Amino acid sequence: MTYHEPSGLPLLIANLVVDYGAHRVLNGLDLSIRPGEIYALLGGNGAGKSTTLAAIMGFVPPASGEVRVCGVAPGSAPVQARRAIAYLPENVALYEHLTARENIQYFLGISSERRTNAEIEAAFNAAGLQEDAFNRRVAGFSKGMRQKVAIALALLRHVPLVLLDEPTSGLDPRATQDFNRLLGGLRERGSAVLMVTHDLLSAADTADRIGFLDAGRIVQESVAEGPDRYDVRALHRHFARPVAA
Amino acid sequence: MSALTLIARDELWLMRRSRVSVIAAALLIVLVVIAGITSVAHQSNVADTRARLQAQVDEEFDNQPSRHPHRMVHFGHFIFRPLPPLAAFDPGIDAFTGNAMFLEGHRQNSANFGDVRQSSILVRFGQLTPAFVLQTLAPLLIIFLGYGAVARERGAGTLRQLFMQGVSAGTLIAGKLLALATVAALIAIPAMSVLIFVAAQPGAAAGPIALTAAGYLTYLALWSIIVVLVSASVARPRNALLALLGLWSVTVILLPRIAPDLAATAVPQPTRLETDLTLQRELRAMGDSHNPDDPVFAAFKQRVLRQYGVRRVEDLPVNYKGLLAVEGERMTSELFDRYASEGFARQARQSATMDAIGTLSPAVAMRRLSMAAAGTDLAGHARFLDQAEAYRYDLVQRLNRLQADAVSFEDDAAKSSDTAAEQRSRIDPHHWHAMPDFHFAPPEPGDLVRRASPAAVMLLLWLLVPALLLAPAARRLEGVRS
Repeated sequence: MTYHEPSGLPLLIANLVVDYGAHRVLNGLDLSIRPGEIYALLGGNGAGKSTTLAAIMGFVPPASGEVRVCGVAPGSAPVQARRAIAYLPENVALYEHLTARENIQYFLGISSERRTNAEIEAAFNAAGLQEDAFNRRVAGFSKGMRQKVAIALALLRHVPLVLLDEPTSGLDPRATQDFNRLLGGLRERGSAVLMVTHDLLSAADTADRIGFLDAGRIVQESVAEGPDRYDVRALHRHFARPVAA
Repeated sequence: MSALTLIARDELWLMRRSRVSVIAAALLIVLVVIAGITSVAHQSNVADTRARLQAQVDEEFDNQPSRHPHRMVHFGHFIFRPLPPLAAFDPGIDAFTGNAMFLEGHRQNSANFGDVRQSSILVRFGQLTPAFVLQTLAPLLIIFLGYGAVARERGAGTLRQLFMQGVSAGTLIAGKLLALATVAALIAIPAMSVLIFVAAQPGAAAGPIALTAAGYLTYLALWSIIVVLVSASVARPRNALLALLGLWSVTVILLPRIAPDLAATAVPQPTRLETDLTLQRELRAMGDSHNPDDPVFAAFKQRVLRQYGVRRVEDLPVNYKGLLAVEGERMTSELFDRYASEGFARQARQSATMDAIGTLSPAVAMRRLSMAAAGTDLAGHARFLDQAEAYRYDLVQRLNRLQADAVSFEDDAAKSSDTAAEQRSRIDPHHWHAMPDFHFAPPEPGDLVRRASPAAVMLLLWLLVPALLLAPAARRLEGVRS
């Protein structure tokens, strides 16, 4: 798929406003992510993180402002925009009656993409899925294993934008470390990654930029610098402060 | 393979993996096959029996000894309603209306010996025919197989995952619909085979059979659309199942069974007893056509005497009692016809009410289409009654004219007291042979198609409404948040 975005940005959000009835959830959100960049969006409950993702995927219409995924507005052309996105929900939903390989083949088939068995296995390996799980039904998979299947799918689809919703929630430290390594792989492929999370440490480990979302807009943004990348204590202080009324 | 066919294939695969689904589908297909075989065998058996009995009673009538013609009027004659070929698919009201009629003078009898009087009470629920299985049970299977088609994806969270692969809600719904329609087509195959078999039978016409086939395919497609529509419109599979079962119970079970009662309430029909009592009162007022001196027939008598230019009935060149019988039969038949016409008019209004109820239930529309195309509906029965009455009137009047022409008035008047006169009033049996046999003229195929057309239009409207609702359902699904 070829995208023609003059800005060359996989994701561009400008002055986005989203209302749920009388409640304003996003209030002038500005955000853009470059190819190969990992952006972590942090915020408390109700800050608008999930709504941001839903707006990017075209599931909620903006009241005003603009969202562009590789130049396509998801609100008006959701199918085209979604073809440029890989999405990992907090709880990855897969077809329980299919094996990991069959799930991948099915989702790739749906998106009209063809991959060889070798390519699928390479993606599984890159995602860290154990070989004996390739042909097992996913019904018995742990949360981490399901995420690996979803990551493999994202790798195989070669999409410009990857959206992650609380990716490390419920993962043990080792699995979180594995996952963070995978994000590095996505960055190397040139995919832009937007990660919505509560996990400050994981975000500090992997993200090139961290934005704090509060009351529907980004109130502070930090950029990774130097060998230590971030002042985690300062980030934590900001993250832990009371939310705006 | 396109996304649509891939979704359909996966849905079918999921159905195939479910033992319950496979057994249910297989059972229904077996039921259709059994219903087809037994129905064809039953139809063939009934047709043979009725043809044999008709030949037997025709022969008995022809072989009557020398008799007075009016004795033959009262001896009467049986006729049997032949079954149309499509009755093998949908016997309609045949089991309820009776299939044999006793024809005699001065009376218009109704048909008797319906199967419901000779069979288990279960016949009233619905005979095991391909029509019953397709109308009643097939929608139930489609519901069980398809209620979770879209709702399950939503409940499991795979719906958003599917959308994120760039598949549109329209494609998703079309894929699910294709899968369900494939199962519906599988169910339809044995039923369509029965229709092809029927088409090869003598007397079968292509038009009504093609309309029946198209009607049932539309009906199954309609249920497939309804099931997918409901599945796409509710949050949980359980809700979809409950909503669909409710819809099935009301439209397939309840409405078709209460529709006749509603129609009867809207257009009340007097009971058989009430009709008979009123009829008898009017008949009594008509006088006795057996009595040449009945004052009711005084004007008729004068007209006959004037016509022949004589002063006494004894001077007529024909038997006045025979002429009186002809006139009496004409008058009573007019009365019968009036009652029958009023009865049919009420039934036609009841049918119109049923058509109106058909707007509330695709099963009612399907049933009416199926029976009308098969010629086994009320109109088909009315056609038989019309022809039976025409035949009865013709037969009785032929016998009455024989009485007028072949029996002298003197012998006729004296036969009860004079044995020789009684013997002379009997006429040769060859006259019975000369009486025509009853041959039911089936309706033209075009007539059947025309009669089934309103129900076909209703069914198409039923198809159109949920089909049009699929587009907004898809749009709502695109905006799904969970």
